[in-house]
Parts: sequence; structure tokens; C-alpha cells
Amino acid sequence: MKKIHFENLQETLYNEKLSNGLDVYILPKRGFSKTFVTFTTKYGSIDRTFIPRGQTEEVTVPDGIAHFLEHKLFEKEDGDVFQKFSVNGAAANAYTSFTRTAYLFSATDKLYDNTEILLDFVQEPYFTKKTVEKEKGIIAQEITMYDDQPDWRLYFGTIENMFHEHPVKIDIAGTVETIQDITAEHLYECYGTFYHPSNMVLFVVGAVDPKEMMAFIKKNQDSKTFEEPADIIRSFPSEVNTIAISKRTLAMDITKPKVNIGMKCNKTDVEGEEMLIQELSSGLVLDILFGRTSPFYTAAYNEGLIDESFSYDFTLEQGFGFAMVGSDTDQPEKLDIAIRKTMHDASESWPITDVELDRRRKKKIGQFMRSLNSPDFIANQFTRFAFNGMNLFDVVPTLEKLTVENLKDAFQTFSDESSHTVFTVHPAEKVQ
Amino acid sequence: MFKKVELQQGVTLYIRKSDQFKTVNFSVKWKSTLDEKKAAARTVLANVLQDSNGKYQTETEFRNKLDELYGTVLYMDVAKRGDTHIVSLNAECVNDEYLAEGGVLDEVISLMQSVIFEPNLVDGQFDEAIVNREKRSVKERIRSVYDDKARYAQKRMLELLRPDSPVSTSTYGKEEDIEALTSEALLATYENMLREDEIDIYIVGDIDEDVMVEKVKSLFAFNGRTVHARPTVRQTVTEQPVEVRHVMEKQEMKQGKLHLGFSTPIAFDHPDYMKMQVANGIFGGFAHSKLFMNVREKESMAYYASSSYSSHYGLLYVTAGIDAELEEKAVSLINAQLLALQQGDITDLELEQTKALLANGIKSAFDSARGQIEVFDQYKELDEHFTADTLIFGWEAVTKKDVQAMASEIMLEIVYLLSGRESK
Repeated sequence: MKKIHFENLQETLYNEKLSNGLDVYILPKRGFSKTFVTFTTKYGSIDRTFIPRGQTEEVTVPDGIAHFLEHKLFEKEDGDVFQKFSVNGAAANAYTSFTRTAYLFSATDKLYDNTEILLDFVQEPYFTKKTVEKEKGIIAQEITMYDDQPDWRLYFGTIENMFHEHPVKIDIAGTVETIQDITAEHLYECYGTFYHPSNMVLFVVGAVDPKEMMAFIKKNQDSKTFEEPADIIRSFPSEVNTIAISKRTLAMDITKPKVNIGMKCNKTDVEGEEMLIQELSSGLVLDILFGRTSPFYTAAYNEGLIDESFSYDFTLEQGFGFAMVGSDTDQPEKLDIAIRKTMHDASESWPITDVELDRRRKKKIGQFMRSLNSPDFIANQFTRFAFNGMNLFDVVPTLEKLTVENLKDAFQTFSDESSHTVFTVHPAEKVQ
Repeated sequence: MFKKVELQQGVTLYIRKSDQFKTVNFSVKWKSTLDEKKAAARTVLANVLQDSNGKYQTETEFRNKLDELYGTVLYMDVAKRGDTHIVSLNAECVNDEYLAEGGVLDEVISLMQSVIFEPNLVDGQFDEAIVNREKRSVKERIRSVYDDKARYAQKRMLELLRPDSPVSTSTYGKEEDIEALTSEALLATYENMLREDEIDIYIVGDIDEDVMVEKVKSLFAFNGRTVHARPTVRQTVTEQPVEVRHVMEKQEMKQGKLHLGFSTPIAFDHPDYMKMQVANGIFGGFAHSKLFMNVREKESMAYYASSSYSSHYGLLYVTAGIDAELEEKAVSLINAQLLALQQGDITDLELEQTKALLANGIKSAFDSARGQIEVFDQYKELDEHFTADTLIFGWEAVTKKDVQAMASEIMLEIVYLLSGRESK
């Protein structure tokens, strides 16, 4: 077991890669009464075309399957896994993103019992025709719930505008139609390919004794047999840098229009330190150009062009990335122009100085330190970082050495006007 | 869990030294009786005070300063609880120990002092432009509830269930009251709040308690005030069994948002309060609950189906996202779960699971500084010496008979459905 001490953060991380390939991390936190455990596979909604383990032909599975699988792992022959967690006082949950599926619990008691339930339920799939069919009604309601959320439609509409082929443009849960095609056989095929321990990370953070916990996990894993680790062959369609659709609108029953500008990133074949620098730099650029102290924000807020719903965000994964800036607004066209102009002006005349960078760097360092109070944040983010070859605890040292040049490079990955698109949700006309 | 220091009559400091967190958290809370007109003024005031102050006269200057203090978070918000309206000034900064340079903590306290005591006044008044801008923001915040279908359905259900009552009074006030606000009225609200509200100040972090108490005493020099007792809970008990009202409203949407309103005489200050928390947990509070297991897992009718206990108002809600055509079936399934509880159909397992998860919930809440502040602030009204164990021991003692008795004290009053369905 490796022990890595981060002096500036006063944290010590324990790590071991087990013989079956599972990567285990343990971070004890003093003073905490809860322990938070995540068990995550590097498998998300974008992994839809691949060569199943033990086969030679590529397959494409129905949309929404990773998320469907996540739901179905909770049901076993002897009932619902939530029941077992509940008896032990653990609050359990799971989520599926574009690139990951995570299973997790937090508990203040019976840590080992709960850890065993987590490891065992994820590693013992049980899918039948009956249980798969039953889930379709539940997931159909989940999809319908999202369909009625204007902010989700705005987010996904923008992604659909940006991408021609990449499966990031497919809704994580699929559609009510696509999930009808999912069978138990599909689930076993995806499970067999993506749930091998060598494609997974276990993260334990909070009130935990690292040595005892590591021994416990090892014992659990040693009692099971797994196939040899094998490379996973995924396939993604090629994607050009320009956007697919420059402008689209959707009518919903809302009171005020919502506008979102998507800016597609042209440099996504990155990992490790390079990715960390690009990601942090892009975040800082958005902060400086659109944050609460920016000339853009001040003018737009004073004019009533944006309101408290205004937000911006940067997303980067291997194979896709984008920045988004948006708000509820009564003047969608004007806001669209103002955001694009801010980007255009920054391309023409670079506005970011060392002084500006130093100020926002401090802000980001503080933000990161604050988030280290949250075991949930640490476990989820650490895993995402690890899957991209990055270390969460490198954030502060990396921020400290960022230069204005780094920010300029990052800006240029999403500044080109041919990579910008707008999506608007506007109030539907009331039919009387 | 907090050390209590009475600074002045009606002004109390609650302080807690803990090395659990890498930050220091502050919350200053002004509490007053809930009144819709006052709520409107206090909400706009909160926005205006967090925008700028006498020292940093524009939002840009002020936010730049906060960013330089390692991204210190400082914001104001408003909330309601029972009959009380609460304006809070919250701040969180990184503990100096983790930073390359010291002195952040002192600067943050002095910034808070500026926010509270040195408002950004021009010729003795709040700047008209800022006031108008923030009036607009708050009005838009109120209006935007319509766009969030689940929140809107809940709001409508409460308005129908308890019109003109604190539970359906908007925390942010009404649009027309906000519209009518002037700079003068806002200043009067500010002065009144500072002079007359009950004030609770919270500090959690790795701090020197004695030093901090002295600092707060000298920098937050509030005058003493007589605090008028406000009722902890506001409930409207229906004495005669009423006929259940069915209301259906239409929006262009796909899912049906089903919201049921129940009333109960067991409220936050009732001796059986903790028994009712357990009953709610078994009914629909968790993933092992009757609602989740039957409406979602057995019938596959919903992605979410849960109950929540609004103890300060003596109410309980059930919400579910369903196919609107199946409303009648869903309502009868929900009623069947409550009936099962009333008939004592409760297993040892359900009781055990619910107690374990309630205990986990309260202990987990205490793993964040904000959780410690908010939970304690609520429960200290019942018990000055409140700890997580107060509740955990209380829940432990609850029996199946208790749960059955509690379920019999829950009465359905309204079934509300928001959907795209045409009403018949």
C-alpha cells in the first residue's frame, strides 16, 4: 500500500492496485463521523460502440443502456439492495454520466458491512427478462421528468447543436423509445465488458482506518474469481471541430426565455498534466471573461440582460469538451450577441494580465480548499481525475504555476466562431 | 455543541471550535415575525447589502476583494421557518493555516462588519439604481418558480391548502410589494432589522474561541433589544374531517406532478414529534419506504414517490411524478400505504431501517459546518443543549404501536395534479 502525504493540504492518501486490477484509494478525514465510499466504472453513456469481451465483432447497443444497467444492478434475486443498505443505516445512490457509472453510499455506522454490500452487489449482476421489463416504466418516468425541465432541455439542446456524430449528444438515459429495445442479454454484454475490476476505482473517504479497510477490501476481492484483465476496445465516430447546428429554439411552458451559448473545444485528445492545465486554464478564462467581476457581467446585469440564473461552465473529457454561457433573459438575441462579442473582443485584443490571473488563481485555490471539506466531492472528483490520468491533489500546485500563456492557449481551444452555437428555450404561445 | 455567549439582550453568539474543516464559517441571522410585505423588503435588502458597501462601493470592487481573500464566499439569503422570517449573512474563508499568507480571517470579519454597519449610501439613501436592479432580480426569482414544474406544483398545492397562512407565504414576498418598494422604505427596513430583530451569530472553525468572542463583541456592536416571542410552529388544525379536495391544473408538459397535502396535529413542538418523523420515514421518507417500494418498485409507476414532514406547519406532503392518466390509481395506491400504517402493518425491518437512516442523516448533516449551524439553529428552540444524540435516543424508543398511532393522526386534505392532461 502506497502512502502519499500532501503537506500543504494536511491530507494523507493511501493507494493500492489489487491483483485483479482494481485501484483502491483511501483518504482518512479527522473529525468526520461519516464515511463515503464510491465504486466507479469507466463506462458511461458515450460507450455505446465496442467489441464485447471475448468477441471479435464490434456492436452498437441501444441508447440509454449504461444508465439502465445502473438501475438494474440494484435488483437481485432476493430483492432490492437499498433494503440491505437501509438496515445498516447507509444512504446509497448511483449515477451515470457521459463517461462514468458510480455506485456509492455514505454511512456513519457499520462501515465494513456496507462496504461489503457495495462490492458484492456491483460485482454480482442479476438480470432477467422480467426485471428488465419492469424497469422500463420507472425509467420512462425518469426520462419524462427530465423532458419537463427547461434547464435540462437547454443544456442538452446545446450539446446536440455542437456535435455532429459524437455520442455525447445522445441523452444519458436514452429515450422512452430506445430503452424499449434493451434486453437482459444486452446488460450482461455491457456488464462483462466494462465492469471488470481493472476498469474500476474504489474510493473510501472519511472516518476510516486505512490499513484495516485495505485488508478488508483485499479479502473480499480475493474471495472472488475474475477473468484476466483485457483491453477494452471502444469506437467513436470522427468528429470535426465545427458545430453541427448554429441555432435552434424550443418552445416550452415557461415565463422567460432561456439562452445558452455552446463553444465546442477543439483539443480533447489530452490526459494527465496537459489535461489538468487545459481544464484549469479554461475555467479561469471563463471566470475572468464572464464572472461577477467581469465587464461583461457588470454591464449585462445592470442592463437586465442577465439575472440570477446566469451561469457558465467548462466540461472536458477525452474526446469531447465545451464551454457554456447562458441565462434566463427577455432579450435572447441581444444576450447572444453580447456573449459572442466578449469572446470576439478577447480574440482581437487579449485582456488577461498577470494581476488578473493572480486574483482569480487565489479564488480558485480557496474554492478548492473549501471543497476538500466535502467527502462527496473528494470521492467523485478524485475518480473522474484518475480516469483521465490526473491527480485531484495536484490542483493547487498546478494552479500556482499557471501562466497567462496557458490561459491564452486554453482560450484558443474554444474561441473560434465556427465552434459557437446558440440554443434558446422560449415561452410557448398559450392556446386558449 | 456550541458555546453560547449572550452579547446583548436579544443578541447571541454561538461558537464552536473544531479542526474538522479547512475553513471558518460564519452566519449572522436576523429573525423577525413573518409578514409578506416585510418579507419583500427584507429580500431586496439582502440583495442590496451583498452587492456593495461603504468600503467597496461597486460589486466589482467588492467581489475582487473577496477573490483576493482566497475566494472567500460571502452572501446573504432569506428563509422562513414556522412564523419566523430569517435574513442571513453567511461567509466562509479558508483557515489561514492552509494559506501562503495570513490575515485572511481578520479581513473577512472586518468585511462582514462593513456589510452590516456601513451600507453603500448616497446622500443618506440606498442607491436608486442598485435598488431598482435588485427589485427586478427578486421579482424574476419569484416568477421563475413557474418554470420549475415540481416547485410550482408544490407552491400551488400549498396556496390551495392553506391560503393566507405562513406556509403558503412566499419567503421573498409578493411581486406587487416588491414593485412598490422605495429606497426610503428599504432604509427603514434596514434600520429596523438592525435595531429590533433577534440576532443569532454562528462561528464554526479552527479558531481561538476567546479571541473570537472579543473580536465579535467589539466589531459587531449591536444594541440590546427586547425580543418578542414568536410561535415556533404555525399550524391550522382541521377539527372536523373535511372532504378531500381534488384540484387539477394544466400546463404544457409531459409528466403529471402529483402533490398530496395531509394535515396532522403533531408538529415540531409536540412531544410526539420524533415518533412522527419515524412514521414519515416508513411511509415515504426513504428508498425502503412503503411509497418507494410499492408505487415505484412494485407498480413501476413512478421514478420518484416520497413523503416529507413539514413539522413547523403540521403538514405532510406526498409527491410523485406519474403518467397523468394514472392519477386515480396512484392516489389509491398512496392511500393504501397510509392505511397499511394505520392498521399497524409495519415490520420490524421497516422500523429498524428507518431509525438507522434517520440517525445516519443527522450525523451526516453534522459533517458540514453549515449543517451544524442550520440544524442547531432549528433545534435549539426545543432544547438549548441539543445534540445529535437527543434525536437518536428519541427515535430509538419509538415502537410499531407509536407509528400506527402517528399514522392515524395524518389526514388527507388535498390531491393536486399539475399536468398536460385536459380536465374532465
